[in-house]
Amino acid sequence: MIEATGLRKVYGAKTAVDGISFTVQPGKVTGFLGPNGAGKSTTMRMIMGLDRPTSGDVTVNGRHYSQHKAPLHQVGALLDAKAVHTSRSAYNHLRAMAATHGIPNSRVEEVIEMTGLTAVAKKKAGGFSLGMGQRLGIANALLGDPQTLILDEPVNGLDPEGVQWVRNLARYLASQGKTIFISSHLMSEMAQTADHLIVIGRGKIIADTSVDALIESQSRKRTLVRTSETTRLSELLARDGVRVEQNERETLEVYGVEPLRIGQLALDNRVLVYELTPLTSSLEEAYFQLTKDEVEYHSHITGGPGAPGGPLDASPAGVGATSAATMEGIQS
Amino acid sequence: MSTTTISKKHAIPSAGTGGVNFLRVLNSESIKFRTLMSTKLLLVLTFVAIVGIGLLSALVRWNVVNQLVTVGRQGHTMTAKQAIQSFPPGQGFDLYNLPNAGLNIGILIMGSLAVLFIASEYATGMIRSTMNAAPGRLSTFGAKAVVLIVVSYVLSIVAGVVTFLLASPMFANFGVDLGWSTDGVLYSVLTGGLYVSGVALIGLSLGTLLKNPAGGITVLVAIMFVLPFAGQFLTFAPGDFWKYVPQYLPSEAGGRFLSIGHADGILDPWAGGLVFLGYVILFMVPALIALKRRDV
Repeated sequence: MIEATGLRKVYGAKTAVDGISFTVQPGKVTGFLGPNGAGKSTTMRMIMGLDRPTSGDVTVNGRHYSQHKAPLHQVGALLDAKAVHTSRSAYNHLRAMAATHGIPNSRVEEVIEMTGLTAVAKKKAGGFSLGMGQRLGIANALLGDPQTLILDEPVNGLDPEGVQWVRNLARYLASQGKTIFISSHLMSEMAQTADHLIVIGRGKIIADTSVDALIESQSRKRTLVRTSETTRLSELLARDGVRVEQNERETLEVYGVEPLRIGQLALDNRVLVYELTPLTSSLEEAYFQLTKDEVEYHSHITGGPGAPGGPLDASPAGVGATSAATMEGIQS
Repeated sequence: MSTTTISKKHAIPSAGTGGVNFLRVLNSESIKFRTLMSTKLLLVLTFVAIVGIGLLSALVRWNVVNQLVTVGRQGHTMTAKQAIQSFPPGQGFDLYNLPNAGLNIGILIMGSLAVLFIASEYATGMIRSTMNAAPGRLSTFGAKAVVLIVVSYVLSIVAGVVTFLLASPMFANFGVDLGWSTDGVLYSVLTGGLYVSGVALIGLSLGTLLKNPAGGITVLVAIMFVLPFAGQFLTFAPGDFWKYVPQYLPSEAGGRFLSIGHADGILDPWAGGLVFLGYVILFMVPALIALKRRDV
């Protein structure tokens, strides 16, 4: 279990992590999701005691990482695939790491086999491809058979078989009651692996929720409408306060209205509609929506004393209320 | 790889449950030291260089003494013993410190190796794996220091003994008394190892402070080789005071530690040793503080 309270890290003028609190539960795969530069890696480095928090605190299994007697058995981490001396072989690297905890060489050979590195184990790690480097990093993380596994962008550079393997490994270890915390900027990857999601943007947590709840809360009714009279139909819809976007010629995306109502409106006004398709948000879109909103969300809470879930997102006409409601749901 | 393989592997707790302690970190650091081809090559090179430069230096000394014995100074020749004693101590013409004749090249290479031992971990990112495995951090520095001290000491002593064994027969024709029982010979062998170990500790500290191999080596060379050179110029400054300053430089104080005998106006060997030890501590303390407090 990982517990962070008011965790904050400031580098010079830049606040990388801005007072975040969260809990990563055992027995689950928790995804840590956010755009590049959102503060994911910094947070993970603070968990591992590599970076000292400016303020706030983070513990793993009840203690600071560095206070554990056998840290590699508590937490295994892949923070950076290149955290290896380039001139040393993979096998010798793992052997040196294992030696700090008296982990036998048989375990080193075991993780090498598990991660599919057997063929290259005696070669210099500097010559490894990105994918092989990731496998070595994962092998390093698994060395102590840890209670908690922290993986920063583990599938980066992995082939499809490797991606599948990481996914199975994460799910398997979670089923054994271990705490699994995986960061990614790819929602599609997390959708297939994680049970729970913590979404971070600009150093703040913008969602802490289960995967299913996130899709549900963020998916908005959208309808794809193809018509030759886009301007006229937009005007008619806008009259009712409906949000409409035109992305292609003769194509409208209409938000928050049932296709039946759009059809009826078109019929009443004799506008020819030749396609009417309901669209459902994918998790990817939900995530995109969430991180896009994050900027507005940010400015709103600095504006007033509003706690998370306060008044939000008034700008795009018509969706303000829905957005505020969803945010509130997510934050709880 | 299938899920069944994973479950099979995890059924047996094969990773043990042992915790971190200093001996284990020491073992880890010694594995790291042994498993880099560059380190092994550098050690062989250091040995060859110490002995090789030592023999060259011995040849120069032999040549000077030979000149004084056969041609003489200002018209009159002297015996080898007189010739050797005609030089002030610590000027590099003493025969008892033949074992250390090539030591300067040794401190250059071992010092650089020490810088690399930690700075290359910063340069490659390895340091993050190291600090995750031993989050106390200071134990890693301590373990690296122990590895470097042992390797430097053993290497310097073996190279010193070999240098002396090869160089001392050269001087047999002068009839001077030169053997293991000669005053200062054993002393210089034993202190030579300490000096190189000390320089290695300075190198390790610089590597920790600067995190950068090239920067660390440059600063080390500046301290050990450029400063004494600058110190030579300082002695030309007006006033007696400046003459006494250069002997307090790390290289001069450390070098004095290896010689024997008292001379007026210069530090005694033990005092030189203490000054040098002071420098080692002066570099190590900020390095340890930085290592403990800094983000990795």
